[in-house]
Parts: sequence; C-alpha cells; structure tokens
Amino acid sequence: MRRHRLVNVLFVAPCVFAFAMNIIIPFGFGLYYSMTDWNGVSSDIHFVGLANFAGLFSSPDFIYSFIITVAYTAINIVLVNAVSFGLSLIVTSRIRGRNFLRAGFFIPYLIGGIVLGYIWQFIFNNALVAVGKSLSIAALQASFLSKPGTVIWIMSIVNTWQYAGYIMLIYVAAIQGIPASLMEAAEVDGASYPTRIFKILVPMMANAFTISLFLTLTTSFKQFDMNLTLTNGGPATRFMDTPIKASQLLAMNIFSTATANRMAEAQAKAVVLFVALVVVALLQVAANKKKEVEL
Amino acid sequence: MRRSFARIVSIAAALVCIAAVVSCSKPAPEQAKDVEVNMFQLKVEIKDALDGYAASYSAAHPGVTVKVETLGGGQDFGGAMKAKAQAGQMPDIFVIEGLGGYNVWKDYIADLSGEPWVKDTDLAMKVDGKIVGFPVAIEGYGLAYNADILAKAGIDPATLTTRAAYEKAFAKLDSMKKELGISAPVSMAASVAGGMWWVAAQHNLACYWGGGLAFDDTSVIDKALKGELDEARFTQYAKYLQLLYKYADQNILLNGSYDDQVGAFAQGKTAFLHQGNWVDPNLKQLGVTFPIGYAPHAFLDTEEKGLYLFAPSWYCVNSKSPNAEAAKAFLTAMATTPEGHDYMVNKAGMIPAFKSVTLKPAGQLSQALMAANAKGGNYGVFFGMLPDGAGQNVFGPIFDLFAQNQNDLPRFISDMKKAVANIPNM
Repeated sequence: MRRHRLVNVLFVAPCVFAFAMNIIIPFGFGLYYSMTDWNGVSSDIHFVGLANFAGLFSSPDFIYSFIITVAYTAINIVLVNAVSFGLSLIVTSRIRGRNFLRAGFFIPYLIGGIVLGYIWQFIFNNALVAVGKSLSIAALQASFLSKPGTVIWIMSIVNTWQYAGYIMLIYVAAIQGIPASLMEAAEVDGASYPTRIFKILVPMMANAFTISLFLTLTTSFKQFDMNLTLTNGGPATRFMDTPIKASQLLAMNIFSTATANRMAEAQAKAVVLFVALVVVALLQVAANKKKEVEL
Repeated sequence: MRRSFARIVSIAAALVCIAAVVSCSKPAPEQAKDVEVNMFQLKVEIKDALDGYAASYSAAHPGVTVKVETLGGGQDFGGAMKAKAQAGQMPDIFVIEGLGGYNVWKDYIADLSGEPWVKDTDLAMKVDGKIVGFPVAIEGYGLAYNADILAKAGIDPATLTTRAAYEKAFAKLDSMKKELGISAPVSMAASVAGGMWWVAAQHNLACYWGGGLAFDDTSVIDKALKGELDEARFTQYAKYLQLLYKYADQNILLNGSYDDQVGAFAQGKTAFLHQGNWVDPNLKQLGVTFPIGYAPHAFLDTEEKGLYLFAPSWYCVNSKSPNAEAAKAFLTAMATTPEGHDYMVNKAGMIPAFKSVTLKPAGQLSQALMAANAKGGNYGVFFGMLPDGAGQNVFGPIFDLFAQNQNDLPRFISDMKKAVANIPNM
C-alpha cells in the first residue's frame, strides 16, 4: 500500500511539476504584480496594495472595454449558437452533399484569427466600399468598420463566421447520439418538425448546449487576435467625455496597457478579467446543468 | 533598503553568471590578445550590409574582430538584451531607441562626448549635456509633393511656407480635381483602425512640439510634460491639421492602412503625402517615376521652411566592457572613413546623420532630407520624450475622433488640453 502511494506520487509528479511551473506559480506572481508598481523592467518594485484596481474603475477606457466585452459576448452567444444549431440541423438532415457541407462549414475555423481579421478587413474597407461606390449605394460607401455603433456587430458576425462550424460539430455529435427510434416514434405519433426539434431534440442534447455556451462565452470574453487585425480597436468614439477606442475589447485593452510598459496596471486588468470570466462561466454552467436530462 | 537589496541580489546573480561563463568558455590564452567587439542590433534590413562592413573592418584592423548579431524582425530586443545582461554576455555595442531605453540601460552606457564624430552631427543622443548615443541614421519628413501635379496646377512648392499658402494651394487643387485626375489633394491617415494613429498623433503632432523652433528647443514639450498646453500655438496647429483633414481623401483618412495611404500618392491620385523618407523603397516598388520633393509642415501664421529630422535609434557603447575603446574606434571609423560612408549610404541605404558625408542615397525623399540636413534650419522631433503609450492610447483616439468630426475644432482643442493636463499622471 505504501509502495503504491510512492509510485502514484512519482507518476503524478511530472504533471504536477509542469502544472505548478506553468500555471500555479505564474498565477501567484500575476496576483502579486497586480498589487505593485512594476513597469516590467525595473528591479525597484513597490507594493501598492489595491491602488491599481481602484484606478481601473475610474478610467473611461477600461470601463468602456468591460462594457463592450460583455455586450460582444452576449451577441456572440446568441449568434454563434443559433447559427451553428441551424447548420447542425441542415447537415444531419437527408440533404444531398451533407458531408461536403460539414467540411465546408468547418473550414473557416481552420483559418487563424489573424489572417481572417485581415481578410474581412479588406472585405469591409475595400470590397464593400467599392461595390457601394460603383452601384451608388450610400449605406455601403463608408466602411462599416469606421462606424463606432456598428463595429461590435461586425466583429460578432466575423466571429460567427469563424466559430459556427466548430460549434456545429459539437451539436452534430450530440444529435447523432440521440437514438433514431425516439425521433421516429415522435414522427409516427404525429409530432410536427418544430415540435420534434424543441420537445425532443433540444432537451436530449442539453449537455451539448452546456459545452457550446461555455466555449462561446469564454472565447468571446478573451477575444484578441481577430480584434487586433480586424479593427485594431478603432474607430474612436467618445465615452465619459473622453475619446477612447470604440472596439477595444478587454484583452486588447490589457495588451496595449502592457506594451506601454505599465505591466502592473495591465496585470490588475487581467485579474479583473479572470474574476469576471470565472464568475460568469460558473453561473452559466450551473444554470445549464439544471436543464440536462439523462436517458 | 529594498532597492539596494534587490540590486545586490541582481549584481550577485550577474557575477555568478559571468564567473560561470568565463570559467567555462575561456579559450586558449594566445587568442586573448585579440579584441573581439560584439555588436547587437535590431535593424534586419541592414544585416547583410553591416555584417559585410564588420568583416572588412576586422580584416583591415589586425587584432580586432567585430562580430554583429542581429535580432530578427519584430522580436523583443529589450527582452533579449535583458537575457544577455543576466547571462553576463552584455554586448559591447547595442541599440537604444530613445529616452526610455536610456533610462533602462544607463548603468551600461558610456560617455561618448569626446568622440571625433560628435561635432559632425546634430542628432547624437544627448542626456544631461553628455553625448551617449551614435545616431544610426536620419529619418525625417515634411509634406511630400508630386512635382508634376503641382506644376500642372501652377503651384510653386517653394511658396508653401505658411498655413495661408497651403490653404490657397489645397483649394486650388481641390477645384481642379478632374483636370489633374486626382481624388483629393492630400493623402493623410489618422485611423486607429488602420493602425495609422502615428501619422497624425505622433508625426503630425510633432509639428506642435518642435515646429518653427530651434532644432534642440524642447520648451513646448517640456511644458506639456508638466501638463500645460500653449493654447495660442496649439490653435494655429489645430487649424493646420484641420486643413490637412479637410482636403484629404476621406476614405484613406478614416480607414486607410499604410499601403492605402502610400499607394494613393504613388498612383498619382493625390498631390501630397504625409509620410517620411522610409516610404522611398515602397515608392520604388510601386514604380513611381514622377519627381517628388518635400514641402515644410508650415502650420504657423509666420513662415516655416524646415523639415522634421530625427534619429530613430542610437548605438551605445557598453561602459563596463574591457573592449569599450575598440568599440568606440569601430563607430568612429563608420562615421569618418570613406568605407564607413560607403557602407551607410550605398550598402545599407540609410541617410547618415553626419554632415561631412557627400554620397547620395537613392531615394528621392532621402535625397531631399539629406539636402535639408546639410542646409540646416530644420526642426527637432520630440515625441520620444512623452510617456510610453501616450501617443497610441491617448492622442490616437483624439486625432481619430477629430477626423470623424472635422468641424469641431474647439472640442479637439479641449480634448487635447485635458489629455496634456493628464500627462504628468501617466
């Protein structure tokens, strides 16, 4: 028994070591640095307590970034899941070429966020504007990315385009896991198609919704690469009487604070992001778990 | 107390590392007589030219070997330097990019005040009256113009020395757009989204900091660092910026990328371009054949004729290295010998910051800058003195918003006043 314990410890040790070195210790350092005035270079570090956190909630750019990140996440959760659920119904129906469609819908996910941001930036800034000019459509003549009011929606659309195929696969797997007899029995009993979807399919695949909502929530909250290349935080807008960047999500706000050599402040922002994400994600998973059913 | 403790620890760590490296890597004693100068730099585009020059310098100077290490594009030069310092492999010659870099590395930076090239340049890095950096090159800008278009419109670029003259010229070009085949008089960019905040909020704003003053007059930016904006001067500047915005191609101004901005000028769709001499290779690539020159950014009511010149980076000599003298000699040779000039101008394609250089660079804008440097009467560029992130995170959105609402001059001025007042807290 004793020997077994030693063996167990030895087997676990490499993992624990790697996890501690890569996650736990840096996390502790991060917490510590968020309470200092470190600039990333100086060895002269002072402990400042919660001063960095106190400053955050009076700085317009951070408050704005927080608000639009929440808004962007909300839009994304609805949009991505609605679209991918729709797609999963299409590719699990008896439609011709469904395997081809499955692959096709999944491909955008394989394009990296950086590349994809540049592609869509070209579409919105150049292609659509050129179409608008040649056809004299006023609405298209100024890029959608230059309007502070629409830019978040545009980002959500691009994100949906990228991410829907991936979430679709989760839904497809869930749908295929439901016994066909269940759906057939309902059909024989005279249930209409929408009734079958909402009364049988959706409750039966509730665990897939838990996973998908969790994935879309966390990735939207942490969105960075596409934000950087598609909008770079622009255009400018006015918030609390201060000009700030209209599409700068939280992750990018943290990044630009850090690159200005204000590491401690950026670290404090990162801690806020972490706490917010954990709270929201736990609430979401708890709420979804209640809806799951066992066969 | 805490500070000295941290310093002792870091010095002890450095000593341990040095001891380890020295004890392991000391080669045979006969080579110890040879001096090896290690240089660490970050301009990838001049890597081959610099390697070649270092090799020929080493060949011509028995007993001295210069080794150049270049960090690949976009990598973290500051981080790599820190790693080298910690490992006790601090290079003999290294690069800093401004006052921020100086403050990090000042313990290692040698005083170069006594070097022979100092009096041959205006752009050496100077801190507290001491020369501490060798200017790698000159970069600079004015308002670049397409001489063919101006000639067709009957505008003499030599008259563009006041804001009023620009206003007249822009209005004339705007009224002749069809005949000249241009889409707008100016190719200007201010968009945060396009990553072009620096054209407006850094380079154009530098006109306010240094325009019309003596080359090393930092009085305006010194005041700003204390939180004060000179409103009379700033209002004149803001009117000039408004003019550039008003007559700019609006799509490029509000969304354009670097390629859009430079491309429009290269294709002859605008008469003016707000960019520095670094666009020369781009213009060449785009097949530009029309003659180009620089007009001054004349924003004042009074006359201004100078261009804006600056050194983007400096070489520093490691004061703690035993090879410091050999490193200084290498830099001196670069600045004062024909071989050094040939390397800087013909091989590396840079504009040397030294007035005695007579070789001409290939690019039209570089030639214009070099002529301006030799003539004198230019203005300094001081945005490097601002706190980190001020340009990108604070001024950038203000300039972008002004581009979106070009008629709201008072709002722009009050936004800037508020932002400058906050500089001391950054």
